Amino acid sequence: MIKAINKLQGLKKSLTASAVALALLSTNVVAKDLVIAARDGIYGAAMEKTIANFTKSNPDVKIELLKLPYANLYEKLVISLHENSSAYDLILLDDTWATEFMKNDWLKELTDVDADFVPAALDISKYPINTGKLYSVPFVGNVEMMAYRDDLVKKHGFDGLNSWSEVVKAATVINEKEADVAGIVFRGAKGNPIVTGFLPIFWANGGKIIDDKGNVTLDSAAGLKALEQFLSLKPLAPKGVEVYNSTEVRDAIQQGKAAIAIEVWPSWVPSMDDPAKSKVVGKMNITAAPGEVAGPAPMLGIWQLGISKGAKNAETARQFLDFITSKESQKSLALDLGLPPTRSSVYTDADVVAKYRWYPSQLKALENGKPRPRIKKWKQVETVLGDYLQLALVGQMPAAQALKLAAKDIKRALRKK
Amino acid sequence: MIFSNKKHLTLLLIPALLVLFIFAIYPVIQVTIYSFMEVDFSANESHFIGLQNYRDLLDDWFFTTSIQNTVQFSIVASVIQVILGILLAILFNRNFPGKRFALPVIIYPMMLSTLVCSAIWRSWYHYDFGMLNHWLGIIGVEPIEWLFNPSLALYSVILVDVWQWTPMTFLIVLAGLQSIPQDISEAARTDGANELQVLCYITLPMIKGHIMLALLLRTLDTFKIFDKVYALTDGGPGNATETMSVFVYRNGFKFFEIGLASAASVFMLAIACALSIVYATKILGDQNK
Amino acid sequence: MNPLQQTAAMTATAPKVNFSMLRLSRSFLFYAALVLCLTFFITPVLWMVATAFKEPGEYVSSTPSFWPSSLTLEHFQALINDGFLKRLGNTVIVAFGATAASIMLGFMAAYALVRYQFPARLDIAFLLLVLIVKLMPPIVVAIPLYGLLKDIGLLDSLFGLVLVYQLYTLPFCIWMLLGFVRDVPLEIEEAAALDNANILQRLWHIVLPLCKPGLVATSIFTLILCWNEFPFALLFLQKPSSFTLPLYISNFITENETFWGQLMGIGLLSSIPVLLFAGFIQKHLIRGFSMGLK
Repeated sequence: MIKAINKLQGLKKSLTASAVALALLSTNVVAKDLVIAARDGIYGAAMEKTIANFTKSNPDVKIELLKLPYANLYEKLVISLHENSSAYDLILLDDTWATEFMKNDWLKELTDVDADFVPAALDISKYPINTGKLYSVPFVGNVEMMAYRDDLVKKHGFDGLNSWSEVVKAATVINEKEADVAGIVFRGAKGNPIVTGFLPIFWANGGKIIDDKGNVTLDSAAGLKALEQFLSLKPLAPKGVEVYNSTEVRDAIQQGKAAIAIEVWPSWVPSMDDPAKSKVVGKMNITAAPGEVAGPAPMLGIWQLGISKGAKNAETARQFLDFITSKESQKSLALDLGLPPTRSSVYTDADVVAKYRWYPSQLKALENGKPRPRIKKWKQVETVLGDYLQLALVGQMPAAQALKLAAKDIKRALRKK
Repeated sequence: MIFSNKKHLTLLLIPALLVLFIFAIYPVIQVTIYSFMEVDFSANESHFIGLQNYRDLLDDWFFTTSIQNTVQFSIVASVIQVILGILLAILFNRNFPGKRFALPVIIYPMMLSTLVCSAIWRSWYHYDFGMLNHWLGIIGVEPIEWLFNPSLALYSVILVDVWQWTPMTFLIVLAGLQSIPQDISEAARTDGANELQVLCYITLPMIKGHIMLALLLRTLDTFKIFDKVYALTDGGPGNATETMSVFVYRNGFKFFEIGLASAASVFMLAIACALSIVYATKILGDQNK
Repeated sequence: MNPLQQTAAMTATAPKVNFSMLRLSRSFLFYAALVLCLTFFITPVLWMVATAFKEPGEYVSSTPSFWPSSLTLEHFQALINDGFLKRLGNTVIVAFGATAASIMLGFMAAYALVRYQFPARLDIAFLLLVLIVKLMPPIVVAIPLYGLLKDIGLLDSLFGLVLVYQLYTLPFCIWMLLGFVRDVPLEIEEAAALDNANILQRLWHIVLPLCKPGLVATSIFTLILCWNEFPFALLFLQKPSSFTLPLYISNFITENETFWGQLMGIGLLSSIPVLLFAGFIQKHLIRGFSMGLK
């Protein structure tokens, strides 16, 4: 017994020591001047680079950067903005979240933004759209493009791909005639990926998820036709396309395993011309996706920067925001990382165009870009649609039924405020 | 009696009860209340709507499918884990060279972060570049669509859970085996019983309590399976691996449909309570014999 | 003692030797089964270790390779430079803090409950609480808890996370410790009471040492739980500088790219402390048993 007690003294000591350490460390929280919540990947890299430049000229400002994947960023932002928390000063938001954030009055109004930004991109920074007050600044000018193997498309007698029917035709021929090259590739993963892959086809066929009166018209005849066209792509795609996300699509293109990617975003493109990573250097043509019944409608995917209502350092946040969206920053981010700009002047800059041959057509796509529906519950609509689209894609559900059930669930989601 | 004054005892009990109430019981009550309300999270409004959330829930095809998937996952995964755990424990109840090093190897997966564990297997399952299909190719078997075949995906996730958590059932059963007095089985052997008979009629019945506990803990853990599904398939393909927790997560944190998510949680809790009570009285009954 | 408590006490003891001569065929079967099981559990771990040392380009090549063609420490260097140690520190604080708090509160509560002479069925009540709490989807209780933490100003603090983890760990600790405390004979305490030892002294000098195997074993289960906890940490920690390891790990799985080398490197590094702790505690436990505490 005595021995046991003696031994216990040791445990006691170590416990006390750890308690003291705990107390010391938990009070040692360093205050930071500016906290930014942003995406991971290239967006995070762009932030890091700019922060380094910014702190060079503002050595007294300390910046902490949070980088999160898409879904986690949304969750974190909604919860902390809802609680009016002051955790984040500057936030990066997807334009589809903007309606919810702005309508709930979670962002500070911004004034004095110059006119160089592409109007289509700047319009969705306003609430209500086009006419309202400005709550954010477009930072990344993403617009959905299409990429295809110019050599293969020409070889099989196509002069460009000018409609979705033509895309399907070309993909069928290439898939049949070329060994080890799939005709087409797209993102089939649930949720946001499959929806962004599907929407341009849907729009081009004249489909509308919600009409101008606010009714859900997803399961219209046009919608069904679009979905059937979309599903007809699956046999022409590599096996496993149901779970493909951006990495897989990009790899398939870069490894030369697929000829057409119906959906690429500007930030994926530069590596296709990078000999270290790509086997198809110089062979890809990057254009806006084509039309079908309706004209082409490239989808906008703008990343915006906004200042939170509860920001502790709104002034510094604004200073940084102006810095990162300036012409100089955008140009260097475009050149170094391939981050698509939002300023017209950067798209026409000679150095930038020299490096990225497709930038003029990208600017055109951006100017004609179409935003996703400006509704507060878009996130939910998108997820529901994505679930049912995938069910149709994996063959668990016929196309018509998938659209009907998706429309039913979307109606229910929108019924609630 | 040295404890005639119970004041001291109460003082010792209070801190734990306080913490339990604030961090365990209060949220449960809160969730139950939410389940009867329509909550507009972003606008901070909520009002009572009776059983509407529960009605919506049972009308939701994704939820009803998720119940089925969850039950299937939970039963298959926990039964495999317990059987494999028993097998391993029997192996480890003997002596063999290198046992000292083999034990940590077996229990290591349990200590790995689930994120890392899922990442390893996601890479292994990759259709084109994964190790599994690579090895299958070497022995001349067609590649398998581990994660995107709707009828296989759930079992692929189960395999990962088996890999990570069999160590736990193994430890529990091993402890049971080691608590059995050796002389009983020795006596049976001298009476002419073979090893299988000893195992079935003597050893296993004696560690029934351990086996039940292992089964209980794994049933409950697999019942709320979330992280692996999230990391491996996100409920897909289609809704082939959508479990109840994934449903709750999506509605609660992606859509902020707090009312609906809460109703689904209450539903899960009710099933879990029923399960726990059955198991718990079983374990208690056996112990009191 | 319930089976898990026994398990806790047993796992760390040296296995009992059970010599019996095996026939050759049976021994072959035995080893075949053993090798099969070991292969299943060890191969993914070996791959993890191997990948942690692979050159960054090697993973991306289209034919998968198990072993690295050349070794590099690059990923580990990148991790250290990237603030791995800071996150490790955070995790140590949270996991050990939550474990210490739970063990302390749980031990006091278990003692009080036993000495109150509640019936043995109380175990079942706590088992039920453990199970119910275990089953609550963290996502849903997170919403009330978020508001709570914000109100008491502990959002984004490691201490707040320590408190939140009590939701899981405290009922578990109480349940585990009830059995161990019940095995402490009342007579020893009564003898000490005659020597004027008060309740705290008895608790500290008599009951605690006798329950040490239970405490130590309970703590390892609790520690593993807290060490790898992800959902609550994700929701309640807001700034990267206060992140714990599981959150940090998630940084390497991005939408466009998974950084395999670093991910596997951190998987390896972050599991080592738990493994060491388990090993360290094992020794104590064996000694406790050899002293015949039971």
